[in-house]
Amino acid sequence: MTRSTPRQMAEKKLITEDEFKKIELITSGKIVSVFYELRILLYMGVMLFASGAGILIYQNIGELGHLASILLLAVIMLGCFGYAIKHGHDYKNDQVESPNAYFDYVLLLGCLLFVSIQGYMQVQYDAFTQSMLWNTLITAIFYFYIAYRYDHIGVLSLAITALATFWGLKISSKKWYNGDFFDQADLHITAMVFATLLAGIVFSLDKKSIKKHFTFTYKNFCFLLFFIGALTGIFIDSIYDLLFVSLIYVGCIFAWQQAQQKKSFLFLVYAFTAAYIATTYLLGKYLFNSEPVLWYYYFLISCGGIIYGIIQYKRLFKR
Amino acid sequence: MNKSVYNQEWIYNLHVIKQAKLWMKHGLIQPDQFTAIKNLYKTPLFHPNRAIRILLFIATLIATSGMIGIVMLMFSGVGEMAIAIICMLSGAAAFWIMEHAFINKNHYKSGVTEGIAYMACGLVIVGVAMLGDFDVIIMIQVTCLLVFSIATFRYLDLMLTLAFMVTLSWMIFYHTYEAGGIFRSIIPFVFILIFSASYFLLQQINKHADLNLWSDNLLILEVCCLVLIYAAGNYLVVRELSVSMMDLLIEPGEDIPFAFLFYFFTIAIPVAYLWAGIQRKDTVLLRVGLVTLAFSVFTFKYYYSFGHPEITLILSGIISILVAVLLMRYLKDSRKGFTSKNLVTSAWANLNVEAFIISQTMGGNQPEKVEAKEMGGGGRMGGGGASTSF
Repeated sequence: MTRSTPRQMAEKKLITEDEFKKIELITSGKIVSVFYELRILLYMGVMLFASGAGILIYQNIGELGHLASILLLAVIMLGCFGYAIKHGHDYKNDQVESPNAYFDYVLLLGCLLFVSIQGYMQVQYDAFTQSMLWNTLITAIFYFYIAYRYDHIGVLSLAITALATFWGLKISSKKWYNGDFFDQADLHITAMVFATLLAGIVFSLDKKSIKKHFTFTYKNFCFLLFFIGALTGIFIDSIYDLLFVSLIYVGCIFAWQQAQQKKSFLFLVYAFTAAYIATTYLLGKYLFNSEPVLWYYYFLISCGGIIYGIIQYKRLFKR
Repeated sequence: MNKSVYNQEWIYNLHVIKQAKLWMKHGLIQPDQFTAIKNLYKTPLFHPNRAIRILLFIATLIATSGMIGIVMLMFSGVGEMAIAIICMLSGAAAFWIMEHAFINKNHYKSGVTEGIAYMACGLVIVGVAMLGDFDVIIMIQVTCLLVFSIATFRYLDLMLTLAFMVTLSWMIFYHTYEAGGIFRSIIPFVFILIFSASYFLLQQINKHADLNLWSDNLLILEVCCLVLIYAAGNYLVVRELSVSMMDLLIEPGEDIPFAFLFYFFTIAIPVAYLWAGIQRKDTVLLRVGLVTLAFSVFTFKYYYSFGHPEITLILSGIISILVAVLLMRYLKDSRKGFTSKNLVTSAWANLNVEAFIISQTMGGNQPEKVEAKEMGGGGRMGGGGASTSF
């Protein structure tokens, strides 16, 4: 690509003179877009403000000025949501463009302040474990509502994280009462069950064409949680390692399907990594124990084979 | 001039297709036009999408590690000197295999090529280092510099370009440091001088149209130069390095030598970057300017903190938000060639493009200037892109 390429294209009638004028403005640098720079600055501002507010809330709890500052933050939060209600477009199942450049960031700030203030209330007014559990659920539901209502993928990720936290807490809360909170031996199973259930729900939502552009974010979470959970399982519950390995292979089939249908190959990278670790583990445990030299040959041949396969069948991996 | 291993025309075509795809996505051209462009600018290069590249890269690293393991097992127990030579030879062999088995089969940054190239560089460097028992620093440095620069030149790789810059600055630092005495205290100035000179040299090279093949590498070099100039003048970097490497003791109430100068640099360099970036519409300068400005703020907060990090966070958050919002408003209709609109995403779809172009070229800000540039655009074809000088 050189500076004269657009002109050559225009001369070859590949693009019209009008199109050339538009493209030329951009490629020659006569107009420079600082769209992303300003977005990043805005995002950083929101993050800095919210984390500052978060620290402020946890410091000097109980002082008078402190209460005033929390009230101020609450007012800002309500202002953010008020702005969203006032300016937000109506709900649609399809993707909805944000009404203006600031809308997404205002909403994000509101959501971040919401969780800070909610955390403060909990620390200040009741420190019971059970309420923490339900608070997380409330946060998750609220975030999901916001994400769907105003079409915000950032808040959606927050919502999924909150929901996953709720699940993790719920399963391990029994142990929490007994005092061994850190013994979360079955957390990886929770992660896998959660990932599978969530993937099922998302699959049906996608079928019904409800916010189809959210599907990728969900699937990314699901695949990561599932593979990490299963890999952890192989090493923690090594009695059932065959089960976990076969679950990883099932996950790989899904990832392959996704790659072929949606042309999103990111999941294939996850699947490959997980399956390779799992297979290597199995081989190491049951086959290569006696002969360490075999490892070198194994690495060379297996990965060489993968490279060869991808190059041979490259049309399968094309967008 | 083409001393890279690649066919220049194919790479050029690949970039044209990539650009045209972007234009299509953003509604600048129609899909059938894109197909026509794709058919005209043909390229046989194998350049898969990012996920597949990562996959191939990981697989290549594992496979080559296996290969190295096998080779090393074959020659285990032959003595250190022989191992060193084997390392260098297998490095050379790896380069040869990459060029003949992959690049000649039209691989272009396919993940495999990067994987083998990094391994090969590592093998050659480790081999040479082993010859000198890892003690002869200058030998390692020169080898790194040679290997990285030749590999960058031939394979156009960006990570190797970065490695080259890191080696270069390590070398400069090491040798001025080892020279001792007065040289130690002028290290920052040496850095600023060398990399400023490099930056202006790069600007000149950038105008040379033949180097288009390496334009991304030049961009990396440019960013590295700017960052290194800033780092050498930054008060925090200079102070902490002086304390940890040169055993400088700073009593309370004292300061490092030339402290005022470094305070000045810490503020002036980012501001100069931003100013030059705005003047010359140079996004590289703008971005580096913004990042370094943030680091300058951090530098001052680090030494002059009033003990309330949360207030600092909130204040800097408010300032960032305000600046961003004000600039977004100010640049809503483009001014002085800047716009807050996303020129290459869906924003074009809802935007009245015609009106935008018209406001730019006709009723807009600097009609005469734009006209002059438009004419220069025609002359540029033969002139090889001497753009900003108009």
